[in-house]
Amino acid sequence: MITLDTISKRFGTLTAVDGLSLSIEPGEVFGLLGPNGAGKSTTIAMMVGLLGPDSGTVRIDGGDPAEAAVRATLGVAPQSLAIYDDMTARENLTFFGSIYGLDGPTRTRRADELLELVGLTDRARDRVKGFSGGMKRRVNLACALVHDPKVVLLDEPTAGVDPQSRHAIFEIVRELRAQGRTVVYTTHYMEEAQKLCSRVGVIDKGALLALDSVEGLIGAHGGESIVRIERDEGEERVQTAEPLAVLQRALASESTTGVRVDRPDLETVFLNLTGRSLRD
Amino acid sequence: MREIWALATKDLRLLARDKGGLFFTFFFPILYAVFFGTIFASMSGGGGSGTKIIVVDEDRSEASASFAASLEAESQFIVTTMEDRAAAQEIVRKGGQTAFIVIPEGFGEASIFEGEPMELVLGVDPSKTAEAGLIQGLVTAKAYERLQDLFLDPDIVRTMARDSIASIDDSDLNPAQKLIFKSFLNSLDTFLVQAPEAGVFGGDDEADGEGGPAFNPVSIQSVELVGDEGPSPYAIAFPQGIIWGIMGCAAGFGISLVTERNKGTLTRLRTAPMGRSTVLLGKGLACFLTTIAVAMVLLLLLTLVFGVTPSSLPLLIVAVVSIAVCFVGIMMLLSTLGKTEAAAGGIGWAVMIVMAMFGGGMMPLAFMKGWMITLSHLSPVKWSILAMEGAIWREFGPADMLLPCGVLVAVGIVGFVLGSKMFDWNEH
Repeated sequence: MITLDTISKRFGTLTAVDGLSLSIEPGEVFGLLGPNGAGKSTTIAMMVGLLGPDSGTVRIDGGDPAEAAVRATLGVAPQSLAIYDDMTARENLTFFGSIYGLDGPTRTRRADELLELVGLTDRARDRVKGFSGGMKRRVNLACALVHDPKVVLLDEPTAGVDPQSRHAIFEIVRELRAQGRTVVYTTHYMEEAQKLCSRVGVIDKGALLALDSVEGLIGAHGGESIVRIERDEGEERVQTAEPLAVLQRALASESTTGVRVDRPDLETVFLNLTGRSLRD
Repeated sequence: MREIWALATKDLRLLARDKGGLFFTFFFPILYAVFFGTIFASMSGGGGSGTKIIVVDEDRSEASASFAASLEAESQFIVTTMEDRAAAQEIVRKGGQTAFIVIPEGFGEASIFEGEPMELVLGVDPSKTAEAGLIQGLVTAKAYERLQDLFLDPDIVRTMARDSIASIDDSDLNPAQKLIFKSFLNSLDTFLVQAPEAGVFGGDDEADGEGGPAFNPVSIQSVELVGDEGPSPYAIAFPQGIIWGIMGCAAGFGISLVTERNKGTLTRLRTAPMGRSTVLLGKGLACFLTTIAVAMVLLLLLTLVFGVTPSSLPLLIVAVVSIAVCFVGIMMLLSTLGKTEAAAGGIGWAVMIVMAMFGGGMMPLAFMKGWMITLSHLSPVKWSILAMEGAIWREFGPADMLLPCGVLVAVGIVGFVLGSKMFDWNEH
């Protein structure tokens, strides 16, 4: 569905994307995980035709996103809140529907469906400027879906939102996956990638460091689990590939007062790959 | 085209919800035009207003009544008559009226040949120094009109001359002076007997035949350049008001383009299946339609409220469309001037104000020095005002409109093309 073939992009002396290659399958929720400044947004910008790569190619369903017909199949929710504050939620949706060529009745129907999807039906006639950050994020996301795109690109869709809206956005992404849409989801929150994405590409300094399913990445780069055993005489820390066996032995001992298992996650994967934390 | 229309209606909707933008686009130009129109009207004596003066006739003669009547007939005066000089002076001192004029006792008896001359007393409110000269000039002119009337009435002048001859012997003049004056006055008496018969003072045109009156040193005929009464002060002020509204439009839409870029909505529009030119044309169409709307609102006001009928409606439409094209191009150029909204707004308005200063948008070109008038040719404001004035009251023909409208359309097209190429699409 989406193919990036050794794409690079430079801004002056800064290499934002450096020979990135990946392929995203139809119906997949693909996570692009990396810290701020890793090159995620530049990659998205090349996927939607906003920027042309200095080298390499981008193909969406075999087409070049520089072409209008290819862009018509994409829905983009930019990292910035790209909506009109002085328009209502419904007006934003119908406006973006109109620039994608939807006729009046279709715009109205899609606006109703999407307002329902993002949980803002009761605020449809309110101007966006009165909305909370999370509600604005939801409108921002809904505007990307108004023309029923095959591919949805969500650039940091949960940046600066409250837990309630974050949960709502997760549900929307799951709904998109259930509808069979291809979703590209950039984030620097590993728990989001873990919860939502079937595959994750770990990116840093413009380069792809690893690409696999979440379990595959953890298995390959997460390292062993750590079992912490609390005893009367103090805590014992055991690093192991077999945490269950260690746990059973610990529980059989009378001196054990408590146990805890720390399994590796994507944060550990990133730490092991780069020596840095995702939040750095 | 549907996408361009959708983009334009979005911008019009946003403008309609921006109270500050609406004020500067529609209401400020109306305030400007009405304010300056009213000032021009009061300066030119139009619109029924004039300088308020009090006339005190202490002489109560036929001559003083005639003089007072001549002041009342003057369109630039609103005359109130009073009998008490002190009361009149007190009213003017307190600012109730601009001036008072006293026609003292003896005004009608005054001779132009001997004794005290014709006397008038004028008092002007000290705060109205600008009007003092005007009042003095008009009163002096009326006094000279009276002298002219005296000269053109041989009977009055003969009576004055004979009274003067009779009183010469009793005067303080020396014998030589008495001889000279008697000789002059006797000759004048003879002249005044013979002159009317020769038609020197004019009279019935047919009886006079060829030649006409001999006492007619200067003949000044007024030629009306535009209409019978000249342009209404509001017809002069409204084009300037319209230009301020249109400049507000151009600045507003130019800044909105920068806002959209920095907020990210422009990025989202660029991911839609349409070209960059479509996005800019949408913005341009919104600016164009708003400009037309501003001009229409003010021109309707000018016609319906102030009774000014444009000399040519088709040419006025051509002028307004040309101006709208011009300022769409300027809007596009303004959007390239700053990276932030504040910078674009500040630089944009600075450019606009300079264009207005040199283009006659702040002060009429007539008050400017030669080099400034030359410089004004570079300002689209000058051509915009000229195009509108041409269609409203200068009675331009299609050929006369070619130059201003051609300049405006050319500026618009060049501005839009250059601005589109120079516009920075990247978020800052």
